[in-house]
This record gives sequence, C-alpha cells and structure tokens, in this order.
Amino acid sequence: MKNFKLPRLTGGLLLAGVILPVSAVQAADAEAIIQTKCMACHTQEQAEPLEMSRMSHQRKTPEGWLMTIARMQVMHGLDVSDEERRTLVKYFADKQGLAPEETAGARYALERRLNTMESFESANFEQMCARCHSGARVELQRRPAEEWKHLVNFHLGQWPSLEYQAQARDRDWMGLAFKQMVPELASNFPLQSASWDNWQKVTKVPVSGSWSFSAQMPVKGDARGVMTITGGKGDQYQVSIDGEYADGSALKGSGTAIVYTGYEWRANLTVDGVKMRQVFALSADGAELTGRMFETIHDEAGMDFAAVRSGSSPTLLSVQPEFIRAGSTQVLTLVGTGLGKQISLGDGVSVVSEIYRDDNKVVVQATANNKAQLGPRNVDAGKATGATLNVYNNVDRINVVPSFAVARVGGNGGSTPKYNAYFQAEAWMNGADGQPDTADDMRIGYVPAKWHVEPFNEQAAVDRDVHFTGRMDEKTGVFTTAGAGPNPERRMSTNNAGNLKVIADVMDGDKALSAEGQMIVTVQRWNNPPLP
Amino acid sequence: MKHLKPVNNKAHTLTQAVVDDQVEEVVAMQSIAGCTATTDPGWEIDAFGGVTSLCQPMESDLYGCADPCWWPAQVPDMMNTYPDWNEQATNSAENWRNLGTVFPADKD
Repeated sequence: MKNFKLPRLTGGLLLAGVILPVSAVQAADAEAIIQTKCMACHTQEQAEPLEMSRMSHQRKTPEGWLMTIARMQVMHGLDVSDEERRTLVKYFADKQGLAPEETAGARYALERRLNTMESFESANFEQMCARCHSGARVELQRRPAEEWKHLVNFHLGQWPSLEYQAQARDRDWMGLAFKQMVPELASNFPLQSASWDNWQKVTKVPVSGSWSFSAQMPVKGDARGVMTITGGKGDQYQVSIDGEYADGSALKGSGTAIVYTGYEWRANLTVDGVKMRQVFALSADGAELTGRMFETIHDEAGMDFAAVRSGSSPTLLSVQPEFIRAGSTQVLTLVGTGLGKQISLGDGVSVVSEIYRDDNKVVVQATANNKAQLGPRNVDAGKATGATLNVYNNVDRINVVPSFAVARVGGNGGSTPKYNAYFQAEAWMNGADGQPDTADDMRIGYVPAKWHVEPFNEQAAVDRDVHFTGRMDEKTGVFTTAGAGPNPERRMSTNNAGNLKVIADVMDGDKALSAEGQMIVTVQRWNNPPLP
Repeated sequence: MKHLKPVNNKAHTLTQAVVDDQVEEVVAMQSIAGCTATTDPGWEIDAFGGVTSLCQPMESDLYGCADPCWWPAQVPDMMNTYPDWNEQATNSAENWRNLGTVFPADKD
C-alpha cells in the first residue's frame, strides 16, 4: 500500500505547485484573492488572462499599489489580511509596474527624501496635482486617459472642497482638469510605453551574492562594507550588512528583502538595534544596487547607499573622504570591487603607501603636491573606475544642505513621531573667477561644522522660536524637534512650531566660514503614506 | 482688499504682504515633497512662508479644517474618508493625543 500511496501523494503536491514556477503560484494566489475579495465592486472583463475593471488598466510602483489597496481597505471596506495584501502588491507590481527609467527623477519619493524641493515644467501640474501631495506620487503612475479621468472624478467626489481652495476657485477647475490635465497626464504618463514593453522582455537577474557597498550620511559621514544576500525563491531574500563608518565604529545588521518588478529592492533590517528600510533599484545588468537606507520610524535619518556585486566588472564606488587638500598627506579609502594593484590618483596626487587591502576596499596613504590641479579628477584602481577625488587648496564657501528644510514636532504622547532635521556643511571653491554660484565653482565635499539656530525673522525672535521648537546638536547638525500639542507657555498656547535660520560655522585653518539655511519647524501629519 | 479693513495684527500683516507682493513669491517656494501648497489657511506653512499665521495652536481649529478636507494629504478628512477620526478626541485641545495616524500599515 505504501508504494502505491506515495506516487499519488507526490502527484497531489505537484498539482499544488511544486513544479510550477514560484511566480506562477504567487500569481494564482493573487488572482484567487482578487476573485474572492474584489468582485463586489470590480467586474471581470476577461477570464484568461485575468482582466478586471480599473485595476488592469494602471501601472504603479510597489508603494503605489500598496497605497491603492490600503485606500480600498479604508474607503471601501476591503477586508484582506496583511499577507494577502503583500501577495497582491507583489502581483500587481510585477505584472503592472514601472520600468526602471519610468521611475527616474521621482525616486526621491520612494526613498523618503521628504526635504526634496519639487519643481515641474508644467505650472498646471504643479497647481492642479502637486498642490496637495507630492508631484512624484502622480509621476509614479501610468494610466490611459479614461483612467486619469476617473482619478479626477474620484478626487472631486472624495474631497469636494478642493474646488474652492486658492489655485482652484480662481479658475475653471473642472474644465482645466478634464480638458487639459487629463490629456497632459495621459500623454506624459501613458499606460502603454516602449520602456515597459522592453522591460518585460528583459531577463531578470537574481540579487543573491556578495556586494561591496559605500554609503554617506549626516552625523556619521562615510560608511562602507559588505552586504550579503541569500535566497531568492519567490524573489524573497535574506540580507545582512557588515561594515564600518569612517570613524571605525561598526555598521551591522540583518533582515529580509523582496524584489518587485525585477529591480525594486525593498528590505527591512535591524541595524545596530534600529529598524531600517532599504529602497534600492537594481541596475539592468544586475551589477549595482543604489538608493537609500533609512530608519523605518524616523525616515528622515538615512544614508545614500550604492553597492556593486562582487565578481562583476571592476568598479570603484567611492573614494572616502572624497577630497584632499593640495600640499597635504592623508588616508584615503577606495571602495568597490575588483580593485587592481595600480592605484592612480591623477597628476600631482600619489600613493605613499598601501595600508590595507581586501576584496572590497583599499586603504592608502596619499599625498597631493602644492601644484596638483584643483577640482575633481578620476581615480582608478587597476581597471576599476567610476569615482572621483576632489583636490582643493582653499575652502571659499560653505553651503548648508539642505538649504531649506521642514521638520515636524511629534511625540509627547501623540501618535506621530517627531520628524527631526539633519544638516550637513558642504565646502566649495569659487573657481578661477573667484565668484560664488558660477559655472566654474568646484564642490569639495562635506566637512565638520559647529551648528546653531537663530530666529529667522523678527516675529520668530518675539515668539522665542529658538527656545520652543527644539534643540540643535552643535556637533552633529541634528535638530531634534520639541513635543507636539498646544504649549501653554507660548502665546495663545500655540504649538512648538517656528521659523529658524540654521547656521554652520566651519574653520578652514585659521579662516572662519559661515553659512545659513532655513528650517521651518511645523506641526505633525497624521496621513503619512509611503509616497508623500 | 480695499473694502476690508484690517482690525488685528494678523490682518495687518496680510494687507502689508499683499501690498508688497510677497504672497506669490512665497507660494512658489512651498514645493517641498509632501507639504501642501494650500495656504488659505496652510498646514505646514502660512501664506507668507512662515508659521505665525497658521492657526494657533492648530488644535484650536483642527476639525474646522479637517472636516471639509482642507489638507486631506496631511490631515485625515472627516467629511468622507475618516468620519470617525476624532471619535476619541472630540475636544482636540485636551484629547489630541488620541488622534491616530491613518495609513493601515502591516500589523506583523
């Protein structure tokens, strides 16, 4: 009997999916959920392959699909488990995602760079769409005209007061929305595109392997190390990072990841005890991952991140630090993969000695002579290229980065965390003309500064904004905001909001330099979806 | 504006800003990703690019604006989407801590 039963059991398992590709099983699961949970409102337009009203006629990022499904939960009573929702997001992002180039220029929203200043060529787009939420939220969607039209109708029905706000009541809002915006959006962000057609034909590359990474962040500065990725079944991975910051302290963590649409890497890790998220894009050749790693709760705290797969073509990701003063000797760390023996730092800058070498980095003592040409130069480590080193002789000025920031009060027993602000001081040379903000200016890099805040204007001084809005860390440039809620100590018990100048003081030898930025400390937001 | 007479400081500021053409200038700079450029009234920033002309404190008139969905991308609108958002915080000045964030994040 045993001999007879076993093949039958195996056959059953085979039917259940053992021989089917994982993606097919996931798709079947997702379509089963759609047919069970979505049919109350959506209609099936075609059975094979499955096509449904509305949902089959849009393309979005994983975050875009997550927001759509979340909206169905909130507004239309869709009842799905977290696991079902994840299955649906994966299915839609893979089947109706965006091609890599279709996300270019708007990845800052995916990467949670919320202090990005948006600017659009179309004034209509800015005033009709980006007036309430980020323009990136729209730019990361693709729809035909009919679906953009539905979106206008939905906005008007759901938030009817939008017609009598400023930049709406002063114009024929409906006429503009339907007659100009719908065609503009359908033309700029169409459902059908050559990019998406081509991307679907590209053979997707698994992400597993060993990766050399380079990162840069406020507070800690440069970082580098190794990221190890294993697994890959169903595009699910395990990930660990093992690296160091420039000051030698460890950068270690691990977690899980998923790849959507063949290139959208999303990982959740615990790094040195803090929950962090990675939002990276995999390059088409599968050799590089780039994006941002940030704290899950405090996404304002994060680092620019680039990684190259070990064993791919020799690549130099960065030189850390990215600058050297003419006439000085210092330690430089070259980060990448396939770093050759012959290190070339360009004319006038030479390697004194090699201090350390492994597969992912080379540490050298380098010296720049007084006559070394100023400005950026390419650095090579054998065949590995791709990074530059900036040679400078003098810091002419400092920029506060970001020059304009919005921070938010939070905590104090409320549901929203503080949204703090992180500043860096960026050193520049003015170039041959000696004038700032001209074409021959040369960026040097981020330098240590002493930080403080001042009232932005007379009103901010009278309202004692410096006292009430939070505290600037003099050494790190991190502004931690004050608590949320009315403050009885302030005039009219107002919130701990304020308008501040952010001042960086830098010493370049004996020369004192100073720079100024602006920070608005404002109130919390309770609606905080993945795309702002 | 010529038929309206400013009677308090905020109104004086507004009148002066209109005279100085400050308002348009400020609208152009308020394009930080995720902040609203609706500033009549504003949520993050007032019409002058500062915070002194926002509701003070914002809790004092929060529902007057959240109800007609004035900034629905930042503050849950109670007209259509989140009618019960303030169920546990009818007195916003006293109970603001009971106002929850609304994006349904994964529970596990």
